[in-house]
Amino acid sequence: MTEEPPRRIGVMICQCGGNISDYVDTEKVRAEVAKQGDVVATRVEMFACSDSAQESMVQMIREKKLDGVVVCSCSPKLHLSTFRAMTQRGGLNPYEYTQVNIREQCSWAHTHDKPAATEKALRLVRAGVAKTALSTPLERMRVETIPQVLVIGAGIAGLRAALALSDLGISVHLIEKAPEPGGHVARWGRVFPNDKDGRGLIDTLVREVRARENIVLYLGTELTEMSGRIGSFRVKVRTPTAETISLNVGSIVVATGFETYAPKPGELGFGLEGVVTLPELKELLATNPSRLEYHGKAVRSIAYVYCVGSREEGSETNLRTYCSRYCCSATSHIATVITGMDPGIRQFHLFRDIRTYGKYEAIYERALRGGSVFLRFGEEAPPSVTSENGQLVVKVKDRLMAGEEVELRPDLVVLVTGMVPREDGEVARVLKIPIGKDGFFHEIHVKLRPVETVVDGVFIAGAAQGPKNLAESVTSSMAAVSKAAALLLKGYVDLDPMVAEVNPDLCAWCDACTLACPYGAVEKVDHGGTAVARINGILCKGEGACVPVCPKQAVSVKGYTNDQVRSMIDALVQEVA
Amino acid sequence: MRVDPQFLTRVRQGGEFDASVCMNCGVCTALCPLGVELLPRRLFRYVLLGNPDAVREQTETIFSCLLCHMCESNCPAGVHITENVRTLRTHLNREQYHLAEA
Repeated sequence: MTEEPPRRIGVMICQCGGNISDYVDTEKVRAEVAKQGDVVATRVEMFACSDSAQESMVQMIREKKLDGVVVCSCSPKLHLSTFRAMTQRGGLNPYEYTQVNIREQCSWAHTHDKPAATEKALRLVRAGVAKTALSTPLERMRVETIPQVLVIGAGIAGLRAALALSDLGISVHLIEKAPEPGGHVARWGRVFPNDKDGRGLIDTLVREVRARENIVLYLGTELTEMSGRIGSFRVKVRTPTAETISLNVGSIVVATGFETYAPKPGELGFGLEGVVTLPELKELLATNPSRLEYHGKAVRSIAYVYCVGSREEGSETNLRTYCSRYCCSATSHIATVITGMDPGIRQFHLFRDIRTYGKYEAIYERALRGGSVFLRFGEEAPPSVTSENGQLVVKVKDRLMAGEEVELRPDLVVLVTGMVPREDGEVARVLKIPIGKDGFFHEIHVKLRPVETVVDGVFIAGAAQGPKNLAESVTSSMAAVSKAAALLLKGYVDLDPMVAEVNPDLCAWCDACTLACPYGAVEKVDHGGTAVARINGILCKGEGACVPVCPKQAVSVKGYTNDQVRSMIDALVQEVA
Repeated sequence: MRVDPQFLTRVRQGGEFDASVCMNCGVCTALCPLGVELLPRRLFRYVLLGNPDAVREQTETIFSCLLCHMCESNCPAGVHITENVRTLRTHLNREQYHLAEA
């Protein structure tokens, strides 16, 4: 083994304003790590991510002629890219940077034992330094992107996304599982806030979609397979004739929407004659906009029960603690529509809280002025819905009457059902995008990256991400379009270079890595007359499943080479004084 | 109490009645110089929901109102409280005392 020339590594230790330094003795860690070979500069900062701390570090890289940087702070999820960029500003290759997490893994995890938290921090920092000492500069791989997008779901969000992408000159494959496009909105009649006809909205969009040369609409079609990666996905879809079509797209927009909560039999009278859900009432009104009839009988009074299926515990895999956002406004709006048909129809709204937020507040007020009466019930005392000789009886303790029980005998009971995620997990399974505790697709960051998923190049739009009203769905769909377009219009994408590579001199082509790789990234090539494996860096995601299965130790992941990992383990088990 | 959905329509035959925007704040009650027993907000809610018995029980209160406008002038929701009380009196005159229209 040849002696490597010593490295010049700088270590910055963050106190995170006490988040770290209240439990980890940052000065002690600094003093200890400064004794480490290869470490030529150390510093402690109140906030390593602050502009001033970063600038000092950039200065330090230059003045001390550093060739490797370690920052000991928070999770790399938060600031890996921040400090890579800092390292680059100092004139180094960004992959000469290592992040050590002494907040989530030390100070936050071991608040009960400060000396142990400090000792663990020191061990982790030593491992980080050891890894950096063996780091090599890596270059990101630039690959071309395909200016085509697969949009899944032709509801309001998907249709709108397809048109917006087409406007930008990007070709769209729009697939819809149902035999007709339009989703929920097509069946819902007049929709708030501007009282437009849902069918009309959808028809206009579908007509426009069909007129576009760069949009192909596939009905009755489902996604079955996906491979490849950002910029170049290979997907397979199955048409109603069971034909499989292969498509090559640069990005995928998931706009699969939601399902309406289906009440359990007997829940608030569900199953009794005259008890319907909000979408059923909407469809009833859409089919007969002039008269309100249910099963041939004129409806003279209605009781609405709000928050059915929303804002409750639900199950472990489907936490329904969320508010479904659209139902209060939709029901207030429907009340104004019914008052418009016949002001004599009495409407009683049994609610927990009214959330006609923002501009929709005016709809609630219109409903009030139209004669709707709102009765507030507590979560602990939900209304009861029963039937006496075919007459519906609704009992509720009205909080606005100090809990006095009010008995209604309406012709129709409307359960204002919220949104739940789609049961069908096929899209999530094929695309490998995560699902949140509520069962909806999970975004990377709720505030800052609301339409991106952990799968680069796959975006979520509309109510597939969580309950949204129509306008909000379209807004989110436009956000997904802008993310997809920003990616594709640039024409290329720079991929993370931390991918696997094979040493062809060691490889004996045993096939083990091929079987271990879930991304089909291993190719069989010729190397001086013998067959060896080669990793397609474009397909590889650097997850390393191939590394431990190789009997010859011929495979390693760049940035996490076998030597680096071994040196990290050695550093971790080193004595701590 | 059982709701009579047609009660409001009958009350309105006696004049204008509108308390739809009442938000149950209670300013009316706090300001009433007579300190009437029943909250106007509660009385109006009986009307809106449709509870003829509860309204009839409050006949005394409805007729002891001074119509001084103290509550109405200060109602944050702008409910025409005194007009509503007048309408209720007309209603009671008809339904309970069977007085013919003048």
